[in-house]
Amino acid sequence: MFTGITRALCLLATLLLASCDNDPHPKPVVERGRDGGTPLIRYTYQTEAPRSLDPQEAYDQMSRRVLEPVYDCLLEYHPFKTDPYELMPCMLEAMPEKQATANGGVTYLCRLKKGIFFHDDPCFPGGKGREVTAADVRYTWQRIADPKTECPVLSSLWEYLVGMKGANEAAQKNGGKFDYAAPFPALEVVDSHTFKVHLMKPYPQIIYWMAMHFTCPVAREAVEFYDGEQHNGKRRERFKWHPVGTGPFRYVHERSDHDNNFRLVRNERYITTKFPTEGWEPKRDPACRPLAGKPLPIIDEVQIRILREPTPAWLLTKQGYLDSFGVSTDAYTTVVTATHELSPELLARGVSLEKDVDVSTFYTSINMDDPLLGKNKKLRQALACATDASTQNEIFFNGVREVAQQIIPPGFAGFRKDYRNPMSFNLDRAKQLIAEAGYPGGIDPKTGRPLELVLDTSASGSDQRMMTEFEQKCFEKLGIKVSVIENTFAKKIEKEDKGNFQISSLTGWGADYPDPENFFMLFYSKNFPPEGKNISRYKNPDFDKLYEQMATMDPSPERLAIAYKMVDMLNDDCPIILTNHKAFYSLVQPWAPRTHNNMMLEGGIKYLWLDPALREKKRAEWNR
Amino acid sequence: MIAYIIRRLLYVIPIVFGVMLITFVLFFVMQTRETMAKAQLGQRAKPAEVSNWLHERGYDKPVIINTDWADSAYHHADKPWWDSIFINQIKNFATFELGESDFNRESIGDKIRSGMIPSLMITMPAMLVGLFLAVAIALVQVLYRASALDTGMTIACAVLMSIVPMAYIIAAQNLMAITLKWGPAFGFDLQGWGTIRFLMLPVTVMAVIYLGSDVRLYRSIFLEEIAQDYVRTAQAKGVSGRGVLFKHVLKNGAISLITLVVAHLPLLIMGSLLIENFFGIPGLGGLVVNAIQKQDFAIVRAAVFIGSLLYLFGLLLTDICYAVADPRIRLS
Repeated sequence: MFTGITRALCLLATLLLASCDNDPHPKPVVERGRDGGTPLIRYTYQTEAPRSLDPQEAYDQMSRRVLEPVYDCLLEYHPFKTDPYELMPCMLEAMPEKQATANGGVTYLCRLKKGIFFHDDPCFPGGKGREVTAADVRYTWQRIADPKTECPVLSSLWEYLVGMKGANEAAQKNGGKFDYAAPFPALEVVDSHTFKVHLMKPYPQIIYWMAMHFTCPVAREAVEFYDGEQHNGKRRERFKWHPVGTGPFRYVHERSDHDNNFRLVRNERYITTKFPTEGWEPKRDPACRPLAGKPLPIIDEVQIRILREPTPAWLLTKQGYLDSFGVSTDAYTTVVTATHELSPELLARGVSLEKDVDVSTFYTSINMDDPLLGKNKKLRQALACATDASTQNEIFFNGVREVAQQIIPPGFAGFRKDYRNPMSFNLDRAKQLIAEAGYPGGIDPKTGRPLELVLDTSASGSDQRMMTEFEQKCFEKLGIKVSVIENTFAKKIEKEDKGNFQISSLTGWGADYPDPENFFMLFYSKNFPPEGKNISRYKNPDFDKLYEQMATMDPSPERLAIAYKMVDMLNDDCPIILTNHKAFYSLVQPWAPRTHNNMMLEGGIKYLWLDPALREKKRAEWNR
Repeated sequence: MIAYIIRRLLYVIPIVFGVMLITFVLFFVMQTRETMAKAQLGQRAKPAEVSNWLHERGYDKPVIINTDWADSAYHHADKPWWDSIFINQIKNFATFELGESDFNRESIGDKIRSGMIPSLMITMPAMLVGLFLAVAIALVQVLYRASALDTGMTIACAVLMSIVPMAYIIAAQNLMAITLKWGPAFGFDLQGWGTIRFLMLPVTVMAVIYLGSDVRLYRSIFLEEIAQDYVRTAQAKGVSGRGVLFKHVLKNGAISLITLVVAHLPLLIMGSLLIENFFGIPGLGGLVVNAIQKQDFAIVRAAVFIGSLLYLFGLLLTDICYAVADPRIRLS
C-alpha cells in the first residue's frame, strides 16, 4: 500500500514541478500582431465586475471599462484635449449640425461614416457583421425608451427629446411591450447614413450624450438573437453579456466570464478612427509621435482581471504581470515618498508615476429647508470657513486629492485655475462669522448652551467614520456641539431624498459630461430629490434664472461669465461645504507608457501601446 | 435506519422553512424595498427607475400575503392571495429555482453550478492534505507524549493558531509566488492539468491555516483513547507502540473524527470566503463575499438556502457514518 502512495506522491510532485511558473495569465487568443510579429497583449485589472455590457443599460464605471472599447459612440472625447475637454466625431462624419425649428425646438443633423461594420457574430447571416446604418441609431434610441431595457438615463433624456416620454408611456400601457414599428419622432432617419435628432427645446448638452455609451448603436439582430432562452437545446447568452459592437475591440465571449475575466481582441475590420496626428502633451512625445496617424487599436488583445483586493494587484504589478496599477491606500507608502514622488526602488525599475484628477467634486450638503441653517447664511459660512479641507486631504488621502475651491472640477469650461473660494478654511473668520450669525463663541443666546447641530454620515467603513469625526471636530472648534448620526449608505440616500437631515457629510457628484451645467443642475430649485439631486434643497430665484439661461446656451464667453457668477453665488451662499476633487496616482510600467490621461475616456485603451520585448526582459529580472 | 433517515429528511422541511423565514425578515422587513433598489441602482436613480427595477424583479408585490385589507402601495387586488414576495420565493426555492442576481440579473443557479467546481478544487484537496497532516502529527505527538518533541509541537501549533490567516496568504504569495516561483500569486484558469499551478498556493495556505487547531484537537482525541483500558490491555499483550497507535487508537479515535469531518464535507462545496477572494478563485466563497459587498441579497438568500440544506445533509451523513463505524450505535 505504501508503495502505491509513494508512487502517487512522486507523480504529483512531478506534475507540480512541471507546472512551476508564476505567470498568472491564461494563453492569449491572438497569436500574431498586426505586422505578423509578436502580438501586443495588455494585462489590466479593475476592482469590480461589470454590472452589464448592454450600452443602453449600464451606468457604472466598471461596466464602461469593458463595454466602451467594444462599442463606438457617435462622438468621442479627443484623447489629448482635456483642458477643457473637447469632443470630436467618432462614428459620425462631422460634428452634428444644429438647426433651429419653427416651434422653438432644435434639430441636430448627423451623418454616419460609411463602411463601419458590426463585429462578426453568429447573430448575423453567415456570421459576418453588417454595415451600420441610420436605422440602427433609431433602433438604439428606441431601446432607451423601451421599459424592458431599464435605461438609467431615460428620464433625463425624455425632458428634451421629442416623443421619448410618449413612446415609453405607450409601452407601459401596452404591458411593457415596445412597438418598434410605431413612429418615433425623437430620431428621424433621412437616408441610410443620415439622421436627425429632434429636441423640444434648446439643449446644447445633447452632443455630450452622443459621446456616451447610452447612444452607441446596437444591432437589432444581436439584441433579439441573444435572448437568454433555449434554442435547439442550447441556451443563448443574454445580450447584456454578449456585446456585439462596432468598436476597436471584439469581446471574446468564450474566454470571458462575467465575474472574473474579460478578454477583448482587436477588431480587424476597424477603420472608424486613427491615432491623432497632434495635440499630445510635450512629455508624451516619445510615446505618441511614432503612433501618429496609425490605424487603431494598437494593442492586439486586452486581458482584464477583476482583482477585488488591493494586495494581489500590487503583488502582480511588482512581478511585472500587470501593465499599470492604481495606487491603493495600502500600497501608497511603499510606492510614493512623503514628497509625493515615486520611491527610489520603483524609479530604478523604470516605473513612472501619473496623477489623474477625476471629473468629480466632493462636499458636505447643508439642508436649506432646515429652519436654523437654511435661514442663517452667516452660520453656513462659518461652518464652511471652519472646514479644513486641506488637512483632511493630507490625513485621509495622503494629499493626493485636489482641494476644491469651486463646484466645477478641473478641465471644465468655467473652471478657474487661480480662483480661491472666499469661504475656504479660515478659523478666525469662521469664529467672527458665527458671532455675526448670532452665536458668539458658538453659544446659543436663548439657552446659554453651545448651539447643537446634527451631522449625518454613511458609516460603511472606518475611513468614512474617521472623516466625519474630523469634520465634527472642525465644526466644534467654533464652540458648537455636533452630534453624528451613522447611517447605511442606502439609509443616508433615503434621508437626503426626504430632506430628513441637517448636514449631510460625504456627498458629491461625478460628471456625466464635462459641462458646468451638469454641476449647476444640482442646485436648481426644480431638481429637488427624489427626482433631482439638489440634496441641499437650494432655492435661489437668481441662481435659477442664470441656470435656465446658461443651460440652453452654446459655449461662448457670455456663458462662461454666467458660470463664474454662479460659482461665486454658490460659494457665498454656502448650501454646500466644498472639500475636494477626487484624484489618484497610477504606476505605469516602463514597457507601457501612457499616451493620454483623459478621464472622460473609458474606451481610450485603443490609443495605448506597449513593448512586449522590454516586458519580457523586466519580468525575468523582477522574478529572479 | 431507513425510517430514521426518512424522518430526518422530513425534519429538513420545517428547519429550512425557519431559516428562510428569518433570512426573509432580515432582508425584506428590516429595510424598505426602495432602499434595496437604490443600493443597486445608485444614488442617482430616479423614482421611475426604482419602481421599474422593483417591478422587473417582482419586488413590488405584497411582502408576506396579498390580502384585501392590506393598506399597501404594492397591493395587487387582481392577483391571488399567494402572489407575494415571500410565498413566491418559498415556492421557487422548493423547486430549486434560485432566481436571478439583484446585481446583474444573471441566473443564480448557473452561478452556483459554475462556482462549485473551483471551490471543490480548493477545499477538497486542502481538507484531505490538512486531515492527513493533522492526524499524522497528532499521532506522532501521542506516540512521544510528554516529551520535548511533544511540547515543541504543541508550541508550534499554538504559534500556527495565533497567526492571522491574512499573514499566511501574504507570506505564501511572497515566498511561493515571487521567491520560489512555484505558482502564480493570483488567478485561476480551468485548463486540465495546467490548473494545478493555480491550486498549489491556495491549497497549501488553506491546509496550513487550520493545521494548528486541528492537530491540537486530534491530539486530545487520541490521548483520550490511549488512556483507555483496551489500549493498556493491548500493550500488556505485547503489541508494539506503532501497532497500538494504528490498530487501536486511530481506529477508535476515528469515530470522533468522523463527527468533525463528515459534517463539514457537504459544506466544502460552498468554498472558502477568504482564500477564494484573495487568490481569485471563481468559486462559491468569493461569490458570496461579493454578493454581500454588492448587497446582492438574491444571491445571499440563495446561498443561505443551499448552505442550510448542505449543513443538514452533513449532519445526517454524520449520523449514518457513526452507525456504520460504531456497531454499538443504532439509529432509531
